Amino acid sequence: MPGPAEPSTPLQELGELPGRIAATYQSLQAASTVSFGASEKDAVYREDKLTLYHYRPIAPSANLPPVLIVYALVNRPYMMDLQPDRSLIRRLLELGLDLYLIDWGYPDGADRFTDLNDYINGYLHRCLGVVLREHRLESTTVLGVCQGGTFSLCYAALHPERVRNLITMVTPVDFQTSDNLLSKWVQGIDVDALVAAHGIVPGEVLNAAYVSLMPFRLLQQKYVNLLDGGDQAQIDNFMRMEKWIFDSPAQAGAAFAQFARWFFQENRLLKGTLELGGRRVDLRQLTHPLLNIYAKQDHLVPPAASTALEPLVGSRDYLALGLDVGHIGMYVSGRSQRELPQAIAYWLQRR
Amino acid sequence: MTSESNATGDWSAALQKAQADMLRQWTEMSQAWAATGSTGAGAPAAAANAGGPEGGPESLGRAFLQQCEGYLGVSSSLWELLNRSTAMPDPEQRARQFTDGLAGLQQQFASLWAVPPPGAPPTMAFGMPGMGGMSGMGGMSGMGIPGVGGIPGMGMMPGMGGLPGMGGAFNIPALGPTREQQESWQRLLQLGARCAQAQMQLSGQWNDIIGRALRELGERLAPRLKSGAPPGSMKEIYEEWVEAAEGVYAQAARGSAFMQAQAELTNALSQLRSAQRELVEEWTKQFDLPTRAELNSLHQQLRELKAALAGTRS
Repeated sequence: MPGPAEPSTPLQELGELPGRIAATYQSLQAASTVSFGASEKDAVYREDKLTLYHYRPIAPSANLPPVLIVYALVNRPYMMDLQPDRSLIRRLLELGLDLYLIDWGYPDGADRFTDLNDYINGYLHRCLGVVLREHRLESTTVLGVCQGGTFSLCYAALHPERVRNLITMVTPVDFQTSDNLLSKWVQGIDVDALVAAHGIVPGEVLNAAYVSLMPFRLLQQKYVNLLDGGDQAQIDNFMRMEKWIFDSPAQAGAAFAQFARWFFQENRLLKGTLELGGRRVDLRQLTHPLLNIYAKQDHLVPPAASTALEPLVGSRDYLALGLDVGHIGMYVSGRSQRELPQAIAYWLQRR
Repeated sequence: MTSESNATGDWSAALQKAQADMLRQWTEMSQAWAATGSTGAGAPAAAANAGGPEGGPESLGRAFLQQCEGYLGVSSSLWELLNRSTAMPDPEQRARQFTDGLAGLQQQFASLWAVPPPGAPPTMAFGMPGMGGMSGMGGMSGMGIPGVGGIPGMGMMPGMGGLPGMGGAFNIPALGPTREQQESWQRLLQLGARCAQAQMQLSGQWNDIIGRALRELGERLAPRLKSGAPPGSMKEIYEEWVEAAEGVYAQAARGSAFMQAQAELTNALSQLRSAQRELVEEWTKQFDLPTRAELNSLHQQLRELKAALAGTRS
């Protein structure tokens, strides 16, 4: 007959808990000076809140066309270059790629009427123009990340002559797959009322939605797990991630409303009914070499949301590459660091 | 019996000591934050963005301590129940005692998870549980309170102070020279009531989720209790709880009742906020202060000018 559960271990646990909390808290305080960003870069173009960066080379050139990285509006792009050992950008630079990155900045009240046409046919178009002029090229490679991938698809469909190769990473195309919880929630939201109430939509609103996808894990357990111990480097890593997760720019009101309604609620990109600047976004115009990278464990952009791209595009050179990581893991996981940069460089070298 | 009483006594004493130690830590850390003038969780989001967006060490510290407190509450309650259950000699009785006991924890757990935190911003219909400790959220406090309490000085709105019958007659037709303002106030109060109703509905959903999660935890652990291999630590039983709760939540959050309740609260809060702003605008106009509507108009004109300029250049 089994006896009562042995109380000594939990008693010990309980007795040690305040001390562990205090020690972890001290480590968190010590992590206040952690730095972000691993690679040197120069601002080569600025417009309103936007900055276009050019990364300094750290390896002999691979003699490939420059790559313009188009990040999402909803988070900050330093996740691509978080720290030396967790930096997709650094790994790509080590392979001799020439990288540019659009940092959209932090929109404020002056941006409430900035819309998707401004972002895609305006800012993105002009940034690519800067890169093309600098290198005297007619077209080059665009690498779009998450929402930035969606923007890149739209842009390349509208301006196919300016894009030589297109790479999309964790990019939603079908916004209404059955496993997309965020999309299900958005369906019932009165987006116009939300934007009317806020003007620009605070990052906290988006964060609240994201953490609500797994509230017990993301709001409590991940902090409790810190009590399990770990060295200062692990706490520093946690802190960097924590900063990135909640470093969410506000969203320009008009662009947010259009994105929520046209993409999430009406799924226009998939249906071929999206128009920007008076022109229809026809994905069949994408005849470029196209590498579509998705995360197999992605709960924000489920794999099916990304892989829906293949039958929609006109490209005969389409490759879908699934990595067994989550959405965030695509940027920082060891597997991604090992496999993804090489895969991108290899794919580019053969085109 | 004696040894069981001793064990219970040891546990209670240890729990009390842990709680006292944590309270002391809270106090010391709060004093340290105050001494350094830390922005912490109360900092406006804009300020947090300016100096390094939210998630800084102080705000993270607050969130961390709050969640540790929550962890202690959840895991110690579950452990106490488990300990009582495993003392039963009969395997079936052990499992039943544990399962029945979980039902008794619903209210305690629901109070931790089910109620939207005071001061949550209007659009916090997303993300109810535990958000009180989220960094940067405190700066928006007051905006989500249904009604007008969150707007300072609203009682001083010109022309409103002396209106008769404003205390209760919010549904009667508005009359007289200030009828427009009366209607604005009526609308505000109606929206406040709608928000309160929506909040109750969503809280009900959360209560239901917590209850189902506790039952799920009982079902997950019953075989282990019967076989005499229960979780051996507070952390282990806590992790079982999180697994059970996330599983139940993942299903419930996709259900139409939850989604409708969440959307209704978000939409109601959006409309309330807009109605509040309309009243503030009315008030600022009386003092010839710039309003959001004027700024919006200027921004629109700027956009048109920029577009015209770009067209000229091209």
